[in-house]
Amino acid sequence: MASMLEFRTPGFNPYAVKYSPYYDSRLAVAASANYGIVGNGRLFCLGLGAAGVQLEKSFDTNDALYDLAWSEINENQLVVACGDGSIKLFDMGVNDFPVMNFHEHKREAFSVCWNPISKDNFISSSWDGTVKLWSPTRNASLTTLPIGCCTYSTAFSPSNPALISAVSADSQIRLFDLRTPVSAKYHLVSIIPVHAPLSGPVLPRLASTPGGPPGATYAGAVPAEILTHDWNKYNTNIVAAAGVDRVIRTFDVRNPTGGPRSLLAGHEYAVRRLAWSPHANDILVSASYDMTVRVWTDGSTMLPAMGPGGQQMLDNTVRSGTQLGLMNRHTEFATGVDWCLFGTGGWVASVGWDERVLLWDAHTLLRG
Amino acid sequence: MGALDRLSALGSQLSGGAGIAGGKAKILEKNADDIVVTACLRTAITRGGKGQFKDTPAADLMAGALKAIIDRSGINPGLVEDICVGTVLAPGGGATEMRAAALVAGFPETAAVRTLNRQCSSGLQACVDVANQIRSGMIEIGIGAGVESMSTQYGPGAVTEFSDLLESCPEAANCKVPMGVLSEDMAKARGVSRASQDAFAAASFQKAAKAQADGLFKEEIVPLKVKFEDPKSGETREIVVDRDDGIRPGTTVESLGKIKAAFAKDGSIHAGNASQVSDGAAAVLLMRRSTAEKLGQTIIGKYIAASIVGVKPLLMGIGPWKAIPKVFELTGITKEDVDIFEINEAFASQCLWCANELGIPQEKINPKGGAIAFGHPLGCTGARQVSTLLYELKRRGQQVGVTSMCVGTGMGMAAVWVAE
Repeated sequence: MASMLEFRTPGFNPYAVKYSPYYDSRLAVAASANYGIVGNGRLFCLGLGAAGVQLEKSFDTNDALYDLAWSEINENQLVVACGDGSIKLFDMGVNDFPVMNFHEHKREAFSVCWNPISKDNFISSSWDGTVKLWSPTRNASLTTLPIGCCTYSTAFSPSNPALISAVSADSQIRLFDLRTPVSAKYHLVSIIPVHAPLSGPVLPRLASTPGGPPGATYAGAVPAEILTHDWNKYNTNIVAAAGVDRVIRTFDVRNPTGGPRSLLAGHEYAVRRLAWSPHANDILVSASYDMTVRVWTDGSTMLPAMGPGGQQMLDNTVRSGTQLGLMNRHTEFATGVDWCLFGTGGWVASVGWDERVLLWDAHTLLRG
Repeated sequence: MGALDRLSALGSQLSGGAGIAGGKAKILEKNADDIVVTACLRTAITRGGKGQFKDTPAADLMAGALKAIIDRSGINPGLVEDICVGTVLAPGGGATEMRAAALVAGFPETAAVRTLNRQCSSGLQACVDVANQIRSGMIEIGIGAGVESMSTQYGPGAVTEFSDLLESCPEAANCKVPMGVLSEDMAKARGVSRASQDAFAAASFQKAAKAQADGLFKEEIVPLKVKFEDPKSGETREIVVDRDDGIRPGTTVESLGKIKAAFAKDGSIHAGNASQVSDGAAAVLLMRRSTAEKLGQTIIGKYIAASIVGVKPLLMGIGPWKAIPKVFELTGITKEDVDIFEINEAFASQCLWCANELGIPQEKINPKGGAIAFGHPLGCTGARQVSTLLYELKRRGQQVGVTSMCVGTGMGMAAVWVAE
């Protein structure tokens, strides 16, 4: 790979990286001492300049940091998910301490997401089995959505401010719609079983799904923890999810029981984080415990391939995505990855437990 | 918010969580909680009624093998908590005399002993049971073993008379159909020709004869000193038995072709392409890797997983065909990942049929021959395969092996092992 920018986080193992939605030169990294097992956390706010990646501000916390999200209404603010269950709002103009501290989760807070449409609230998920909706100006949560088991990731729909998704250890994607009345289901509108059987044949055939015999269509019939998910930025009904079983799957939320739309197999260990491209509707990037970051197409924009007998693809055909590139410069678990919203498109930031933040252009992988 | 919770969450994400099969890379990993083999061996296997062990009771064979396990591994016998012996024909399950055999072999009274009987897979089941006992934390160190003295205990008394109730159910009554008869029918029904059976059997003899000539059984066989009554002179003397005496060098397809079929006039199964009636014992010392390292034991392999399946009683020979894919499912490996298959040759017909159906290449099956060449002491075989497999994998510098067998009354068992 030609050029790559690097920043080191000595003594802290990063868990997440996010580009600012305001500036093309700003990003932040949530990191933890001792691999997040025990010890402090540190939030790094980084600036990109002529001299490379520079530290602009850092904040220390008493417990590990697992995720962060930039504020959508204040370009200097961001929230972090903390190992003690608290969510902290930091302001780059205020030294050392958070300007707000939201402490309701009873166990590790593991993900945060700011509402990209209404911009006036954010959500957090936790190992205590809940997702909480917060206003940056209020100490207590606005709503608590029960999941019931360790919830590794939660996100807003990029097209609907009331639609919230969450993935958890029980191998399911849950959708909540805040417009529905608070009934016994607490806004829950749909559950997508990630390990639902396939609706149709996989085309093109998977070369080799880890764990399955060659030629086998699909190995992931066994439920496994889902660690990460993201909404497609163009097709508002598509969600990608991945986790312990190494296979990335995309789903159409309109058909929750229809099984995956596409399978992206290749990671050799659990997938820790994935992100759809803000610039193309079929491209996503994933970071894994196998130390690699991979760029994929979900196959949805490829020409309708012909089936084995020359017949047209059926509607229920499950596409197997294609790996477009592999970034293997991390020397420890790759834990975080994000796309830059600006510029020509294709710039990616990745972080790993090797105490490094790497900024690189995904296009160079595609050419190579 | 305990560090241990975070660590175990992370661990389960990495190991794939429960029920996720990991494939070859996963089974080759070395972890502290692996169940490892630190010693495995067998006695020679000798011909039933005529061979050198013909006057040696099963318990004496087992005592010899157990004593050898102590000698070879150098383990303090007081650390062994349970010994499980697979044995099929012994009256009363052999429970009493195997306990006595362990005491004779040098194990203190603190080492518990039990026997089990899952017919031809008893020896493997014994190893698997002990591995599972260790895995569950019930014991720290155990021995899986198997023994059979078909010379002294094989006979019509092996199966109790069926009651009217059992006879009234056709499938139940099928359980007592003799193996030779049902295998003959199966060979006919599945189109396994006499010529292909004889070719498979001849290959087994030739592989075994070559392996014996090259000394490839030396590592697994422990010599045993026993009493032997010379059938000619009638005098009893002490002999040392250190080689399989059923292996007939020079056996060819042609020589086998002359033997008369045993179970039907137009049949295909005969004494030369079925397993021999034999005597022998085998034992496998198992413990957790962390225990082995603490005790300074040499690790020669590890136990990965096992499968057990049921098939129609009249088609008992297809057991491996069903059991092997199941153990692949449990471990996430494929047949390409496996270097050696030790599939018991109960009959050339069933072993060959299973191998063909599974698409296993000939050169991967029983590279040192099998039960057709050197015998099938029922309870012993499953434990015997472990030493045959692990020493051969090690010699070739290979890693992954499968042991499997069909089981009378319609079952199949398979296990995955890795040599280190």
